[in-house]
Amino acid sequence: MESLVVDLSQYLPILIFLVIALALSAAFVFLPMGVARLTGTHKPDAEKLSEYECGFPAFEDPRSQFDVRFYLVAILFIVFDLEAAFLFPWAVSLDMTGWPGWITMMVFLFELAIGLAYAWKKGALEWE
Amino acid sequence: MEFQASLALVAPELVLSLSGLALLLAAAWGGDKASRLISILAVAALVGAGFLAAPALCNGASGPDTLAFGGQVKVDAFAAFAKLLIYLAAAASLIVAPAFFERVKAMRAEYPVLVLFAAMGMGIMVSAADLVTLYIGLELNSLAAYVLAAFLRTDERSAEAGLKYFVLGALASGFLLYGMSLTYGFAGTTSFAGIHAALAGDMSKGALFGLVFVLSGLAFKISAAPFHMWTPDVYEGAPTPVTTFFASAPKVAAMALTMRVVVDAFGAQVQAWQQIVMIVALVSIVVGALGAIGQDNIKRLMAYSSINNVGFILIGLAAATQQGASAMLVYLAIYVAMTIGGFVAILMLKDANGEPVEQIAQIAGLSSHRKVLAVCLAMIMFSLAGIPPLFGFWGKFLVFQAAVQAGMVPLAAIGIAASVIGAFYYLKVVKVMYFDEPANVAVGKSDWAHQALLAICAIFISPLGYLLTGWLGGMADKAAAALYFVG
Amino acid sequence: MHPILLIVFLPLLAAIIGGLGNRGLGNTVVKSLTTGALFASCGLSWMTFIPFLAGTAEASVVPVLTWVHSGTLTFDWALRVDALTAIMLVVITTVSALVHLYSWGYMAEDPDQPRFFAYLSLFTFAMLMLVTANNLVQMFFGWEGVGLASYLLIGFWFKKPSANAAAIKAFVVNRVGDLGFMLGIFGTYLVFQTTSIPEILAAAPGMSGASMTFLGMHLQTMDVLCILLFIGAMGKSAQLGLHTWLPDAMEGPTPVSALIHAATMVTAGVFMVCRLSPMFEAAPVALAMVTFVGAATCFFAATIGTTQWDIKRVIAYSTCSQLGYMFFAAGVGAYGAAMFHLFTHAFFKALLFLGAGSVIHAMHHEQDMRYYGGLRKHIPLTFWAMMAGTLAITGVGIADVFGFAGFYSKDAILEVAWARGTELSHFAFWMGTIAALLTSFYSWRLVFLTFFGKPRWDQSEHIQHAVHDDHGHAAHGHDDHAHHDAHGDGTAGYHPHESPVSMLIPLGVLSIGAIFAGLVFAPPFLQSEEFWGGAIYYNEALLHAMHGVPVWVKLAATVVMLIGVTTAWFAYIKDTSIPGKFVAQFRMLHAFLYNKWYFDELYNFLFVKPAFWLGRQLWMRGDVGLIDRFGPNGAAWVVARGTLAAKRVQSGYLYSYALVMLVGLVAAITWVML
Repeated sequence: MESLVVDLSQYLPILIFLVIALALSAAFVFLPMGVARLTGTHKPDAEKLSEYECGFPAFEDPRSQFDVRFYLVAILFIVFDLEAAFLFPWAVSLDMTGWPGWITMMVFLFELAIGLAYAWKKGALEWE
Repeated sequence: MEFQASLALVAPELVLSLSGLALLLAAAWGGDKASRLISILAVAALVGAGFLAAPALCNGASGPDTLAFGGQVKVDAFAAFAKLLIYLAAAASLIVAPAFFERVKAMRAEYPVLVLFAAMGMGIMVSAADLVTLYIGLELNSLAAYVLAAFLRTDERSAEAGLKYFVLGALASGFLLYGMSLTYGFAGTTSFAGIHAALAGDMSKGALFGLVFVLSGLAFKISAAPFHMWTPDVYEGAPTPVTTFFASAPKVAAMALTMRVVVDAFGAQVQAWQQIVMIVALVSIVVGALGAIGQDNIKRLMAYSSINNVGFILIGLAAATQQGASAMLVYLAIYVAMTIGGFVAILMLKDANGEPVEQIAQIAGLSSHRKVLAVCLAMIMFSLAGIPPLFGFWGKFLVFQAAVQAGMVPLAAIGIAASVIGAFYYLKVVKVMYFDEPANVAVGKSDWAHQALLAICAIFISPLGYLLTGWLGGMADKAAAALYFVG
Repeated sequence: MHPILLIVFLPLLAAIIGGLGNRGLGNTVVKSLTTGALFASCGLSWMTFIPFLAGTAEASVVPVLTWVHSGTLTFDWALRVDALTAIMLVVITTVSALVHLYSWGYMAEDPDQPRFFAYLSLFTFAMLMLVTANNLVQMFFGWEGVGLASYLLIGFWFKKPSANAAAIKAFVVNRVGDLGFMLGIFGTYLVFQTTSIPEILAAAPGMSGASMTFLGMHLQTMDVLCILLFIGAMGKSAQLGLHTWLPDAMEGPTPVSALIHAATMVTAGVFMVCRLSPMFEAAPVALAMVTFVGAATCFFAATIGTTQWDIKRVIAYSTCSQLGYMFFAAGVGAYGAAMFHLFTHAFFKALLFLGAGSVIHAMHHEQDMRYYGGLRKHIPLTFWAMMAGTLAITGVGIADVFGFAGFYSKDAILEVAWARGTELSHFAFWMGTIAALLTSFYSWRLVFLTFFGKPRWDQSEHIQHAVHDDHGHAAHGHDDHAHHDAHGDGTAGYHPHESPVSMLIPLGVLSIGAIFAGLVFAPPFLQSEEFWGGAIYYNEALLHAMHGVPVWVKLAATVVMLIGVTTAWFAYIKDTSIPGKFVAQFRMLHAFLYNKWYFDELYNFLFVKPAFWLGRQLWMRGDVGLIDRFGPNGAAWVVARGTLAAKRVQSGYLYSYALVMLVGLVAAITWVML
């Protein structure tokens, strides 16, 4: 338990930071409101109370559906993207891994090729 | 030279992956018409892999000779025991599939390929000697499994099962990865042996966190409470042959993997995980039993039954002895036979139109028109409940014996008491089949492959199974000795 | 093969075959089988007994099986044959065989005959195991075996609530005695380190005067052991205090009463005291207790017998009283006399019971003597048999000429009680003498009420039913009174019939026993140490003293017998209004006796009610309220609730599943951090 207390004490600056941040942001929100209430007139109407964002209301639901084919292409892309990312470290360390490293990568590429062939044959690459 | 030796050690995986790739292409070009042939070839590949894996078990292989790829993979007798069970279960789920899928015109050639890849993934899991190998095997199995769960694409329940399994599986995977990274951070290595060495002595809090996260991720795979929530929904929603597969092979693989991790990697911190395993075991037994009582769908009931049985198997793990490990392996073997038999029997429950019958109420009075099937199902239920003289009793007996000999009498006592609750719902099924007014629903004909498999399972769990206790126990002892090998 | 094996195991074999075969074998087969086995057993028993009479037989032990070998506790199944056993063998098998035969007639209309005969044979086996026991544990086996058979037979007509109640009462009261017996056996083993009877008896004299400490009290070891054993004997032999079950046991069929509750089982206590006589001789306080309890029972039961109306209850109290004689005979040291009275009593009391059964059979199951009368002419053979029994029990006879069986044995007991010369033995003598007067009175009262006078049958419901059954319900269904008014002679138009031959033969055989058993067997039982051969403690001096008692002591029994018979004659033949006047005069005394000294009421208040209260508390509060509520029912409730909870958690929503997993993870982490 003692160690736990010591650990927590190290978080104290963060706590202080949080408290100050909370206080400041609250001040920024509520201070203008209070000042406005005390100094100006208070006459709300529908237009004044409506939401205000980028100048115009939203036209449609932002969570629109994508065609499932996008996902398919994206998944295939990721596979080969990662393959490329994997090839860089392999290439620079090939002198250390030697033949086993070379064979292993070739097997890996072969497997990917089979996967590609399967996807191709199944028509995954055709848009229509 | 070392590379070739490594390749020789992973020969079963090579066979599976090569045949999987070949069959994948065959599936692409041959189409669904070839699915039966591909199934047969896949079973042949599993049998071949089994023959390649068997010698390691028979020789009781253990020690440095079994390490491959620089200590990433360990192909000892323990891995071989688990692999054989996995291959058997995978082959069984391939054999039962065509009759089921052909009825709904959904027999696709990818099914055997996916099962093959899953089996290969599980093979890697059980031979993992490194956290990274562990994760690759686990994910290879899981990805195939997610697809399998949703295999009936047009079926709402199947799709739901696939999605739930995928999302929750991802969460569990996250636990596991997080735990692995913590462990790596504190141990400085991903190799099990290295972790064992690094964590010997006092264990830091961070490593303890890592252990808990890893165990949680694995508990999801074996569907131990409280990480079991996906099980009933997925078992019910997935096509029954897939459920047969889920309930058998991945259980064996994940359980074996758990044993490997706690013994190989965290073997020096028994007291750290023993209590967790004990609690998880008891909670699983109780939750499985309580959950099963309220079910009216027999597949859901079997799901809770599997949770319940996992609890009993974990009691062997809680013992943390070689004897406990041996008992767990025997229990797993018997459990696989009971589960496959149970699901095959469920597959055989069909109404006059061939539609599957899954409601327990619909099998009322089954004994009056499907006598043999009712007898087999009753035997399986009694065996799952652990009632002598059926073979299911032997597994329970062994794990309780191991727990008692490890000085955990209260654990064994509570487990035995809780198994009484479990007996209730198993016996309820038997009661419905034998004593209720016949509903005359499940009257459809069965496939011969189903009948043959059910017959084999029924004979294995019948009292005749006790003839195998010596042989099975000997194998399990060899495997457990390999697991606990210190060299 | 030793004949004793056949004697003991033939009845068991018959009981097993008959009991398991039951209706599958049929009435005749089972009856023939069991009766045949018993007659064979009986014949062999006499062949075993006669050599002992002739003085040519040696005591022997026939091993049967190994039973218990555990540490120092070792005992085997073995059958002991000596003079004492031989006497009991003869008594048991003879009466049992005759009762089996008698039951052919008596139980002829019963639907459950195979069961009855199997029980009878089973009882006989258990009784034989008891008397042949060579160790206390085997004796206890037989002891409990006869208790079981007695329970089954008293409750044979299990559809009658009163029979069930009587069976349970017999069992429960015997439990009290058996607890004492068990403690006695345990204590004996503790002290002697063996349960073998010969070894215990050999060591007993040396233990005389040894003391032990229990709960801070210094106790005489032998006294404690013998008193405990005697409590067992009191239960089985219905002695004062534990006698209440015997009269109720008359609910069983009459042959059962004759066999179990007159001739054999109830004498097991006497047998046990005689078998262990060397032990009791080392325990003076226990012997005094035996004497006192025996004398008190002998008097007490006789007083009750004078007022009862039920023919079987009169004989039951008479049995109780006669057992008292046997016990005080043993108590004063005359074990031979006790065994002799046991022997003669078996014949005449079985005879009386079977005779009463014959009367009941003739009177269509009417047992109340108030509704008998004038039966002498209707059932003459039964009458003469009952006369023989009554002459025997009342001890009619002339010294040195001839006497009925009871004359020899009872006189011997009274003389020896006087000859012993202690205050307690004199007390026993006077009690015995008064009891002899009362015995004579109630026995002749029974005979006079039953066989003499005018028929009083018309008041009996049983007879009315019988008459109506004979004449048919249709014609006389409505007007009962019109019917028996028509006769006016008290017979209600009923004609009693003599019993069938199967019932008369046993009566005849037992009559011979009742008449001659005393004359024939008195010399060996009372005066021959060679006959006993060390089977019982033999007090030579006491037997010499017995011959020297004053003449008035020798005549006392005969005189009081004559007073008794005369009184009975006056009250029940000469002037039948005397009993009524007597009752009116001594209302309190009569009520006290008629209600059996209020023992049942006292026990009901002292033991039964509190026991019921305690039982109900344990049942409602303890069992239902605690064990069931928190045990099975509680567990079922928890399971049902748990199932509901499990169902509710399994909502089907992904986020709740994920939540459960996270909660589980957090719980696990918290656990390991603690």
